[in-house]
Amino acid sequence: MIPFDFEYYRPSSVKEAADAYQALQAQGKQPMYWSGGTEIITMARLNEDRPGAVVDLKAIPECNVIEFRENDLIIGGCVTLSAVTGSNFFPLLGRAAQGVADQTSRNKITLGGNLCGRIYYREAVLPLLVADSRLVIAGKGGVREAAIHEVFRGQIRLEPGEFLLQTVTDREFVSLPSVHVKKRQIGNVGYPLVTLVAVKKGSRIRAAFSGICGFPFRSASIEQVLNTPGLSAEERARQAAGRLPAPPLTNTEGTADYRLFLFKQTIKDAIHALEGR
Amino acid sequence: MTGTARYTGDTSKPGLLHAALAVSPHAHARMLSIDTSAARSVPGVRAVITGEDFPVLTGSPLEDRPPLALEKVRYFGEPVAVVVADAEYIAEMAALQVRVEYETLPLVQSPLEAYKPGAPLIHERLAEYKHYEEVYPEPGTNVASRNRIRKGNMEEGWSRSVHTIEVRVSMPQSDHAAMEPRCSTAELLPDGKAVIHSASQSPYIIRSQINRYFHIPLQQIIVHTPLVGGGFGGKAAVQLEFLAFLASRAVGGKAVKLVNSRERDMVSSPVHIGLESRVKLGCTADGKIAAAEITHWFDGGAYSDRGPIMSKAGASDCSGPYRIDNLQCDSLCMYTNHPYSTSFRGFGHPELTFAIERAMDVMAARLSMDPLEFRFLNAIGPGDTTPTQTLLDRSTVGNLPMCIAKLKDMIRWDEQPLIEAKGHFVKARGVCCMWKNSNTPADAGAGAVIIFNADGSVNLLCGAVEIGQGTRTSLTQMVAELLRMDVHKVSISTDVNTETEPQLWKTVASRSTFLVGNAIRAAAHDAIVQLKNTAARVLQLPSAELEIGGGRVYSMRDPGIGIEITKIALGYKLPEGGTIGSQVIGRGSYAMRDIKELDPMTGKGKPGPEWTVGAQMVEVELDTRDYSYRILQAATVIDAGKVINPVFARGQITGGMSMGLGLASREAFAFNDEAQVLNPQFRTYHMLRYGEQPAYFVDFVETPNAEAPFGLRGIGEHGIIGMPAALANALSAATGIALNRLPLTPERIWRTAHDTL
Repeated sequence: MIPFDFEYYRPSSVKEAADAYQALQAQGKQPMYWSGGTEIITMARLNEDRPGAVVDLKAIPECNVIEFRENDLIIGGCVTLSAVTGSNFFPLLGRAAQGVADQTSRNKITLGGNLCGRIYYREAVLPLLVADSRLVIAGKGGVREAAIHEVFRGQIRLEPGEFLLQTVTDREFVSLPSVHVKKRQIGNVGYPLVTLVAVKKGSRIRAAFSGICGFPFRSASIEQVLNTPGLSAEERARQAAGRLPAPPLTNTEGTADYRLFLFKQTIKDAIHALEGR
Repeated sequence: MTGTARYTGDTSKPGLLHAALAVSPHAHARMLSIDTSAARSVPGVRAVITGEDFPVLTGSPLEDRPPLALEKVRYFGEPVAVVVADAEYIAEMAALQVRVEYETLPLVQSPLEAYKPGAPLIHERLAEYKHYEEVYPEPGTNVASRNRIRKGNMEEGWSRSVHTIEVRVSMPQSDHAAMEPRCSTAELLPDGKAVIHSASQSPYIIRSQINRYFHIPLQQIIVHTPLVGGGFGGKAAVQLEFLAFLASRAVGGKAVKLVNSRERDMVSSPVHIGLESRVKLGCTADGKIAAAEITHWFDGGAYSDRGPIMSKAGASDCSGPYRIDNLQCDSLCMYTNHPYSTSFRGFGHPELTFAIERAMDVMAARLSMDPLEFRFLNAIGPGDTTPTQTLLDRSTVGNLPMCIAKLKDMIRWDEQPLIEAKGHFVKARGVCCMWKNSNTPADAGAGAVIIFNADGSVNLLCGAVEIGQGTRTSLTQMVAELLRMDVHKVSISTDVNTETEPQLWKTVASRSTFLVGNAIRAAAHDAIVQLKNTAARVLQLPSAELEIGGGRVYSMRDPGIGIEITKIALGYKLPEGGTIGSQVIGRGSYAMRDIKELDPMTGKGKPGPEWTVGAQMVEVELDTRDYSYRILQAATVIDAGKVINPVFARGQITGGMSMGLGLASREAFAFNDEAQVLNPQFRTYHMLRYGEQPAYFVDFVETPNAEAPFGLRGIGEHGIIGMPAALANALSAATGIALNRLPLTPERIWRTAHDTL
C-alpha cells in the first residue's frame, strides 16, 4: 500500500504533459513522470519516493509508437518491454528487454521507464548504446533529438521537466551479428551480476555492460582492447577487466570478485561468438 | 483454478479499522524513548499502542517475547508500535511518524558467535522467564534450550572406528514465503466475546493464548480460519493475533484488521530457523557406523518461539535413519539478533538431515563405497533403537531398505555413473535418506463430528485447517471409506470455526490425517453403532448381524433385507406415528498415546508415535566454466504407511522437493554488518520459479503404522527433508569439493572451489 495521497494527471500531448509538469513543479508538488509505474509503486510503497503528483505519459501518441520510418526504428518511451520483444524489430533489444524482471512485470515496465528509472541496471539501454541510437526528448521547450551518448552517461541526464519521448535507431544495426549474455546469482529471473550486449559492425566489436558496475556503460577503452589484433581472448578479457569505469559492484546479488570472474568469462564468450562472423 | 478462494485479508465490512506496525530499524538496541504524538496527530488515527501498554511476555514453550518491544529491540523489523486508523494507508503513514530514540547495542550475528563465552547477552533475564513443555534455557548465556543425547559407550564406539571424519555445515535463516501474507482481524463484542479471524495453522492455539494472556474464557473466544494460502509452519506461530487484539481493545472493541506487507511478512513475522552444525562419524572397516558425535547450534533468532522444540527434534532424530549404537548429541537453540524463527516444513529435519547426510557422503567416499550401498548397510530397522533409545518395530519405523531399493530401480542407479563429464558440463547425482518423527506434545489430539442429514449425506466437522495440502478432502475420503458411502455425499467446509468444530491441536507436523483421522475413525464407528441400533429395532434383527454400505443398513446373512439410511438418518418414523431413534451424530476424539518427554541429560524418551522414512535423489548438470547448474531430476521414495489420496500424496511430496531445492540452492536472508535484512522482497530474495523445475519422480512403500487410521504415516512435510543434503551431495560430487554451506549459489560454489585451490 502506498502510504500517502498523490495527484494523477494523464495528458494527451507532449505540450500538455510538459505544461502540467511545470505547473505542478511550481506548486511544490515534486511531480514525477509516470510510464509503466512499476518503479514508482515499488519505491512509494517503501516511502522512498514521495511524489505529490504524477504525470502519466501513456496517452501521448508519440510515446506508443513502434515502427520503422524509412531508415529509422522509432520506439516510444511508453512501449512495454514485452511489446519491444514481441515486435522483434530489433532482436538484440528484444533479448535484452526479455532479460529484465519477469513476464508479468515486463507487461508493465516500459522502455522509457527502464532507461530513466532509479534501479540502476537499466539493461534495455545496452543495445541502444552499441547502436549509437538517438533519443528524442520532450520538454517545455518542445522536442529535441540528441545522440544517446550525450544524454545517457550511466544514467539519463535530462533537464528538469524533460522526458524521454522516443528512441531512434538506424536500421543497419538491428540485423548486425550480436551477442546478449546475462549472468544472474541463480535462476532465470533476477538482477544481473553481469549483462553483456555486443555487436560486430564491420570488423569491430562494440560492447556495453550492466551489472558489473553500479551503472550501465559502453567504454571506448574496453572496446579498444576487445579489438586489439593478436591478443588472445583470455588476455583481452583480462585487460578489459582492468579498464572498468568504476570498481565492480557488491550487493545482495553477488560480490565484486565473482562479478569480475563472470565479466571476463562473458567477454571471452562474446569474442568467440563474434569473431569469424 | 477458479479464483474464487477468499483469504482472511479479502473480506471487509463497514466500520472495519486498520492497523499498521512501526518496526525497529536496528537489530539490537535499547529504546531510550518513544514518541507517538506525531502519529496520533495524523487525521484518521484512532489509537497508537506501544510495548508499555501491554508489558507481558508471550511465547510457547518459553515466555520471552513481548508482542511489542519493551525496553529494547532484539531484531531488525521488530514491532515497536501499532497504529489503528480509519484506512490502511493512514495507519501506514502514521506508523512512519512513530519516533523512537535508540542506543545501539553489540550484535550477535550467528549461533556460534552467540555460544562464545562473553558474547553479548540478548536476554539478560532469561532466568525469570516462565516456561511450559520441554525447554532447558541456560541463564547467563544465549542458550534458549539444550537437549542432550547420550546413548551407548562413546569410548567403545571410537575404539571400534577405523575411519573417522568430521563435517561442519551451515544453513542460513530464510523465509516461509507463503503466497498469502499473514493477516489477522480482531473484534471484541459488547457481550464479552472476542472474535478473531486469522490466516493461521493453529486456530485453537490462538484461542488458548488469547485466553492465557487476556483472561477471556475459552468459550467466549471464537477464532475463524478460512482457506489459508500456504503456511509451511510459519502460520503456526501466534503473533499478529495479539496485536490485532490489542488494537481492537484500544478502540473500544471495534473490528481491526492487521495484514502484513510482503516485507513485514518476511522479516517482522517469524522465519525459518538456521543451523550451524558439527558432525563426527566413526566407522568400522566393513562400513558399519560405530560412533557419532553431533553438535547442532540452531539460529533461533531474537525470540525462541518453537525453536527449542525444533532443536529437540534436532537431537531426537540426529542420527538420521541409521543404526548408531554409540551416539552423543548436544542440540542447542541459540538466541541471536536475527529475526525470530518458528516451525518450518520438516521441523528441524531438513537441517539435521543436511548435517548427517553430508557426513554420510563424506564417509562413503572415505570407504570408497557406493553412497546408497553405505546407507543401505546402515539403515535402521526393527530391533534397533533410536537416539532416544526407543526400541523400534516394523510398525514404528517402516521399511527404509525397501525405499532405498525402490529408489535405485526408479532412477536406474546402477546403470549410470555417479559423475559424467561432457565438454565443460558435468552431470552428477546425489542421494540421501531421511526420517522424521513429529515431536508433538504428549497430549496433542483432535476431535471429529459426523452429522447425518435427512438424505443420507453427512457433514464432517473437524479442526484441520486447509492450507492447500488437501487434508480436508482426504478426511472426507476417510469418512466415505469408513461409512462405505459415496464420497460426494460427504461435505466439509473450507473454514474452521473454533465455536463449532471440535479442537485439533494444530495443523502442523504432518499430523492432521493421523490425529483427525483417528478421531474420524471413532466418530464413524459411533455413527455406525447408532445407525445399526435404529435399524435393528426397525428390522427386528440383532444389530451385530447388520452391515452398512451403499446407503443402506442390511442383514449380513441376507443383504436383500435392509433399510435405506435416508429413512433412519433422523430417526425412523413409524407409519402409525412415533419415532425409533433420532438424528445420527457420530462423535470421536483421539489423543496421542505413549509419548514420553525426553530426559534432558540422556535424551531417553519417545518423541512421537511413528517415524516416516524415505530415500531421495537429485541430479544436476554443472557448467564448470561459471559454476552455474541446472537441476535435472529429483526423486523420492517414501514409506507412506498407506497412501490415502495418490494425487495429493504425490503433490505434497513434489511440492516438498521443490521447496527443498529452492531452500538448498538460493533461499537465504542477506544480512549486513548491522544485522539488517537486505533482501526482504522477492525481487532480491530468490525462489525456484516455473521453468526451473526439474523432472520429479515419486513412489511409495506402504508399511502400515498400527496406531494410525488405515495404517498411514505422515508425509505432508517430508519431500523437503533430504533435498538440501541431496543437492549438496550431487554438487560436491560434480565439483570434487565439499560443499557444506547453504545456499548453493554458483558464487558459493565458485568461492569454495577458489578457496580450496
